[in-house]
Amino acid sequence: MPLLQLLVRRLLQLIGVLAGISLVTFLLVHMAPGDPARLLAGERASAETVAAIRSQYGLDLPLWRQFLTYLANLLSGDIGLSLRFQRPVIQLIEQFMWPTLFLTAYVLCLAIPPTVALAILGARRPGGIADQIIRLVGIAGLTIPVFWLGIMMSRFFGVSLGWFPVSGYGVGFTGHLHHLFLPAVSTAIWLVPVLTQSLRAALIEKTAADFVTAARAQGATERQIFWQTMLPNAVLPTLNLLGVMVAFMIGGAVIVETVYAVPGLGTLMVNALLGRDYYVVQGLTLVFAVSTVLITLTVDLLTAFIDPRVRL
Amino acid sequence: MSGLRNGMPPLLEVKDLSVSFGEFAAVKNVSFALRPGEILGIVGESGSGKSVTCRAVMRLLAAAARAEGSVTLEGRDLLALGEDELCAIRGRDIGMIFQNPASHLDPLRRIGEQVAAPMIRHLGITRREGLKRAVALLDDVGIREPEKRARSYPHEFSGGMKQRAMIAAAIGCRPKLLIADEPTTALDVTVQARILHLLRDLNRRTGLAMILISHDLGVVADICSQVVVMRNGEVVEQGPIDDVINRPRHPYTKLLIESQPGRKTYGTADGPDGGKPLLSVEKLSVSFSTGGGLLGGLGGGGAFKALDGIDLEIGAGETVGIVGESGSGKSTLARSIIRLNTPGGGAIRLDGQDIGALSGDALTAFRRRVQMVFQNPYDSLNPRLTIGEAVAEPIWRHGLADRKTAQKEAEALLEMVELPASLYDRKPRQLSGGQCQRVGLARALSLKPQLLIADEITSALDVTTQAQILELLVRLQRERSLTLIYISHDLSVVSSLCQRVYVFKAGRVVEQGVAQQVLSRPQHPYTQALVGSLARLPAHTGTISQPV
Repeated sequence: MPLLQLLVRRLLQLIGVLAGISLVTFLLVHMAPGDPARLLAGERASAETVAAIRSQYGLDLPLWRQFLTYLANLLSGDIGLSLRFQRPVIQLIEQFMWPTLFLTAYVLCLAIPPTVALAILGARRPGGIADQIIRLVGIAGLTIPVFWLGIMMSRFFGVSLGWFPVSGYGVGFTGHLHHLFLPAVSTAIWLVPVLTQSLRAALIEKTAADFVTAARAQGATERQIFWQTMLPNAVLPTLNLLGVMVAFMIGGAVIVETVYAVPGLGTLMVNALLGRDYYVVQGLTLVFAVSTVLITLTVDLLTAFIDPRVRL
Repeated sequence: MSGLRNGMPPLLEVKDLSVSFGEFAAVKNVSFALRPGEILGIVGESGSGKSVTCRAVMRLLAAAARAEGSVTLEGRDLLALGEDELCAIRGRDIGMIFQNPASHLDPLRRIGEQVAAPMIRHLGITRREGLKRAVALLDDVGIREPEKRARSYPHEFSGGMKQRAMIAAAIGCRPKLLIADEPTTALDVTVQARILHLLRDLNRRTGLAMILISHDLGVVADICSQVVVMRNGEVVEQGPIDDVINRPRHPYTKLLIESQPGRKTYGTADGPDGGKPLLSVEKLSVSFSTGGGLLGGLGGGGAFKALDGIDLEIGAGETVGIVGESGSGKSTLARSIIRLNTPGGGAIRLDGQDIGALSGDALTAFRRRVQMVFQNPYDSLNPRLTIGEAVAEPIWRHGLADRKTAQKEAEALLEMVELPASLYDRKPRQLSGGQCQRVGLARALSLKPQLLIADEITSALDVTTQAQILELLVRLQRERSLTLIYISHDLSVVSSLCQRVYVFKAGRVVEQGVAQQVLSRPQHPYTQALVGSLARLPAHTGTISQPV
């Protein structure tokens, strides 16, 4: 089973990547300005208190022993304590994770169908009127900054028309859908053109592919050729791009979440940074890195599922 | 076949077919007819319109192309059919196979499904039944373990197997006509012979009529009964194959026949001087690692031996041919001689000196003495340099002259390879393939090398151009007393040009000796297969070794 072999190989690689990530996040806090012991003890603590805290937290140990302790903690699911909230970081992340994940899935649901439709429309006659309009509107969507679009949409649809709430996460599934609609749309407006361009280019390239000619020579109708031959062959580059984008959205939803006051990971990150809550920053960095790795892995496996040549 | 020929109405009739792309007329008033059970060959060089003609018959041309005239299949004009009727005919009544089987198979679908697809589409059978018939078809076209192979993907097939799979897909619905567009051009010569054998066998067993398009008159002569010779979009001559080959009327057909490799010996320069060899290769081994990257090689990996203990000697002034199929290691040898590959073992000596030990000035001097011309004339020239600059560059780079003098020398060199001075300021893409290869030769000769390595330098060229380049090569070799290593997959070219040959297979020398002897009395079974696979014109002049 080549697919299974690939999975095992990738999981083995994953161990190495995770070790690297943990090392980097560990060093991150050590390179941050300020002494964590002093930070814990407070501004006005005496030198003895700081020293006591230092030895209590093991901060006086050699760096490699601190790292081993950190690794052991990681393995048991302990990634530190938030200085500000005085709660385990893992709990915080769990709490703030769901809005971000919901938003990401929402964006995907809103973005993928129009992407496929627009790319097909554009690729059907490259350089035609439909293609030109799609491209122009796409460039406009790309150039409008997300924060500006967010503010405008929340003013217009939220405040003036009152159709959608302008902040928060809501209660229950429909509540989430309702509350997150504007943030999801403003992200999708920027995502759709990127994906459309990629898929359109791949589709146009495959129009001239030899195996498309061969399928035509075997009597396949244009519809069969498109769905059975062209689309599966053209979708791979866009799938990979989508993976990068999803990873980016999970880690980079800062602007949208701040504008619409969504209690997600982006909001948590901003607050932690402003409050110098280093262990939360460290934990979030770890989560973002791991989620990026996992998404890449998923995309690679999907790619291998579609394209047998990758399974080697 | 000849019994079928008379009295039957034609299966396919092409009348006054013209195809134009905008202003450019690719095909002009082409007419021919094909009777049931007949094999018709269409011969011509690249750009002659032979492929466009057949794509027009199948209506596979881009929307920008305009086709006029009439193409009648059993009374129906194909050019007038609507899309639905066309889809019902394509793959059902007319099957088609293509030049490059690798790019014409969908890389994402299993071979069995691709073979079954036209049958499921046209015959209305179930998927299960289609797959069952696909396995039987794969067996028919000579694929071993067809049940297992039907579940393979195209990238797991060799070139020859892919073409067999294409043929299986094309004949599944029992079409009346098979159009084969250069079906063996991308394949090795022994594989080519087997595919041609398969096509002829299909024709005999099922009476399948075929149109075989090829640039190679030898291939066409091998299996066709009728031939159409095309040039610049026009038919210059057509008729029964024997008449056309033995009594060509049009000058172009005569040129085409004369240019066939093996029809002509080029009469090489003086033999070896005897004495010490100029180049000697001793027990040369080169390996490439096949494992993946970091942590990727867990499932095995290891090394692929491209060359495995090669010994050969080449005397000064000799012309030595190296023959083998793709993957036999012949290009690796060439690249090792000019130090592009690092040997894993053994030594290469030029005038007794180990070239692996050279460095500094000695290495620069060595590079001047040994030069190489490459297979693809376009890829081996810098697209941003004019051809004059490209030829002058090595001269001033090696400090043999200042730039101005180098330009003058370049002009002289281009004149020597018979390129007109008006081309001096052209860029490579503005030249034809043959002209580019002449530039490649001039550039290699600009450093006045002793040893010239020509790696498949004519395999990308048309046969008439190939003949011209070979003539030029022989003239240059004689004038400049060059030692020449000529690498080719084409045994007939090598034997008409070289004094001695080495036959390579899987990184080893399987046979060596005087060229004419190897060709007329091959010893090793592989060489025998190679000689047997040569698609030659029926030689009314006797054996191939006889000069014309």
